[in-house]
Amino acid sequence: MKNINNLFNLKEKCNKQGILITFYGFISQELLVEIGYTLKSRMQTENVPSTKITKIFAMFVEQTQNIVHYSAEKIFNTNGGLSNGIVVIGYQDGHYYVLCGNKIDKNSIEPLTQKLTFLHDMDKDELKSYYKEQRKKESLTKGAGLGFIELARKSSKPIDFNFQPIDEHFSFFSLKTYI
Amino acid sequence: MDSWKTVATKYTPEIYFDANTNILGLKGESYPENITEFSSPLFSWLENYLGNLGKKNFTINIELIYFNSSSSKMLLDLFDLLEEEVNDNNKNIVVNWIYDAENDAAQEYGEEFQEDLEVLTFNLVRKTG
Repeated sequence: MKNINNLFNLKEKCNKQGILITFYGFISQELLVEIGYTLKSRMQTENVPSTKITKIFAMFVEQTQNIVHYSAEKIFNTNGGLSNGIVVIGYQDGHYYVLCGNKIDKNSIEPLTQKLTFLHDMDKDELKSYYKEQRKKESLTKGAGLGFIELARKSSKPIDFNFQPIDEHFSFFSLKTYI
Repeated sequence: MDSWKTVATKYTPEIYFDANTNILGLKGESYPENITEFSSPLFSWLENYLGNLGKKNFTINIELIYFNSSSSKMLLDLFDLLEEEVNDNNKNIVVNWIYDAENDAAQEYGEEFQEDLEVLTFNLVRKTG
């Protein structure tokens, strides 16, 4: 009985934060596609301008694929694998946001902080030339490492991020972008 | 060389080649989880095709509504390859970057690719209506 009440509290919390769609659990590329479709059609029915929908969708894909590629909580099956994480897309204080999180190895905190702080201090023109420079340099791997720059370029405010310690080996990495 | 077509999936574009017109086309959305799985067969075909192209005209029509950052890297690799073929081997290649009049992002991406190309003919084609 107690658990059932908790679920309603969770819904109320979601409403308060203006959440349109959220997902927690093991995610795959296939599920990403379906969430993306649902998100788009929801925004279309609310007459959100198509350029904005494209932008929000792009942020959602980039951030969710980060979970798929880099979550430290993964299970492998014959189709590849599933990665654990949280995806939140919402509308609050006059803007949309995409908030994603997943478990990471503690060793990733330092390089991630460096990368994201570096991007944080750049204006849009600097981000554009840095994007082009990195796109030339990087080899074509699963993520190509361009995701963060892409997000920083598209976000209407600087990207927010933080790390919460889980245990001696792992932390939880959260990343929030604004549209 | 025969005509061929690969149908679009939910996250990869349709790719077609018309042997009568020498047109290669990419149409749709591109955000696969693993970009090389998608791009390797395409690049293998291209390298073979370009090797036998001679002085014929070759056109690539790219009409992508949305693509993720690793697809953007793949496109850059594609344009680099074509640029080299034009520069080193005097190939006659034209790229048409086709975008919907309302798709600002697709237009901007096209302009950014265009800015960095030196010898490859790269047309921005705005579709209306």
